[in-house]
Amino acid sequence: MTRLDPIARRALGRTLSRLATASVAESVSQDPGPAPMPFETARIGFTGAPGAGKSTLISRLAKRRLAVCRERGGVAVIGIDPTSPLSGGSILGDRIRMDNVANESDLYIRSLSSRASHDGLTDNIADLLNAVESYGFREILLETVGVGQAEHAVRHAVDTLVMVLQPNAGDAIQAMKSGILELADIYVINKADLTGAARTAAEVRGIVQHHRGEGKWLPPVIKVARDRPEDITALDNAVSDHLDWSSRWRDSAEILRLRRRYHVQSLIARRVLEVLSDRPELLEEVSVRDSYLRTVQALTKDRHLLSETRENPPDGKK
Amino acid sequence: MSLKGKRILIAKPGLDGHDVGAKVIALALRDAGADVIYTGLRKSSEYIAKVAVDEDVDVVGLSMLSGSHMELVNETMRCLEAYDAGDIKVFVGGTIPEKDREALLKAGVCGVYTSEMPLEEVLSAIERQLS
Ligand SMILES: Nc1nc2c(ncn2[C@@H]2O[C@H](COP(=O)(O)OP(=O)(O)OP(=O)(O)O)[C@@H](O)[C@H]2O)c(=O)[nH]1
Ligand SMILES: [Mg+2]
Repeated sequence: MTRLDPIARRALGRTLSRLATASVAESVSQDPGPAPMPFETARIGFTGAPGAGKSTLISRLAKRRLAVCRERGGVAVIGIDPTSPLSGGSILGDRIRMDNVANESDLYIRSLSSRASHDGLTDNIADLLNAVESYGFREILLETVGVGQAEHAVRHAVDTLVMVLQPNAGDAIQAMKSGILELADIYVINKADLTGAARTAAEVRGIVQHHRGEGKWLPPVIKVARDRPEDITALDNAVSDHLDWSSRWRDSAEILRLRRRYHVQSLIARRVLEVLSDRPELLEEVSVRDSYLRTVQALTKDRHLLSETRENPPDGKK
Repeated sequence: MSLKGKRILIAKPGLDGHDVGAKVIALALRDAGADVIYTGLRKSSEYIAKVAVDEDVDVVGLSMLSGSHMELVNETMRCLEAYDAGDIKVFVGGTIPEKDREALLKAGVCGVYTSEMPLEEVLSAIERQLS
């Protein structure tokens, strides 16, 4: 049975639904499966403002990555779109920009809504990425919600982060200067068929290409125009270069530590949301200090939620 | 009632090039709380089934104006079976002559919602099917 036969696709699809909607208690109680190994599956993130062209770019790049990965496990794309705070519903629109690759048999595309997350990702993203990895994909391309200046979380979810900007994004760039703009590994000035791309590229270079030196990664700034396949080649090469650089210079223990930190932090943040909406009385008729202490106390009761077996694994390791 | 937590694929099989109706229903389903995916125009049954499976949707809505709805429905059902996904429900919408309703329901679709039906009626019918 090959990885992407119809039955496996069905199983993966269902697993991802279950994980995406798991409560905090369900997420921490489940069997974590084999620990993922950094660099086995490359995780490549794409972030940037709404409409910057992330989905279109991913679909063009996916075609190239597939050419390399086909024999080695294929490529998975995860596209996240915002959940409407009013209805709780969403239009998952990333896929429709990916028509040019959607028929490729070794490509798996999955659309997810952001649910309770406000960090550009979605609930349980760590579990979701691990599950996709466990199906043996060689690369995962992750598209965040269209974001503003402050959504840094994707940095810890992926190995290589591509920031997608548009020409004449001058003000946006100023606003991002000390935010997410310094976090990416590769910058794309997308829609370079429009005017202003060269100036925007120069501006971005001025901000991001400061720290040179041995073992340092100098983030490339790549202009990508609609009708220029050679621009996608440049991006494809930059992604490969960065993955090579990472496996050479980055410490996999450190990567796992950062992933773990984000994972635990987001579980706790979401558990706070769960507790506060289940128990509105925690906030009633007391000072902020008392509300805070009550909430912390409510959280510590969570020990009972989790099964004993997970706290004391059979092999005795903690 | 609400469609919160439901995943719905709105698909356009066949050759007609009009998707205003499909988009209206997609937005209405979103406003009722569902996660909605739209395939875009002129997709094969095989492709629609693959997307339904990869996206693990609860139901597929086939929006059809072209007249070959019987054939397309049967084909889509067959492809879903091949993915071990016969349990994914299918409804049809668009311009469906009243005389074909029975046959479509017999073929296994869970609902036939024509363009004349008020939107609220369609939404509550879908909610009933998925609850
Ligand atoms: N001129 C030009 N337009 C582009 C290019 N790439 C994408 N677009 C257009 O930009 C719009 C948004 O593209 P998407 O790929 O959906 O952008 P996105 O960043 O994924 O959008 P969200 O996921 O909604 O945040 C569409 O109308 C595309 O046709 C490009 O290279 N040049
Ligand atoms: Mg997109």
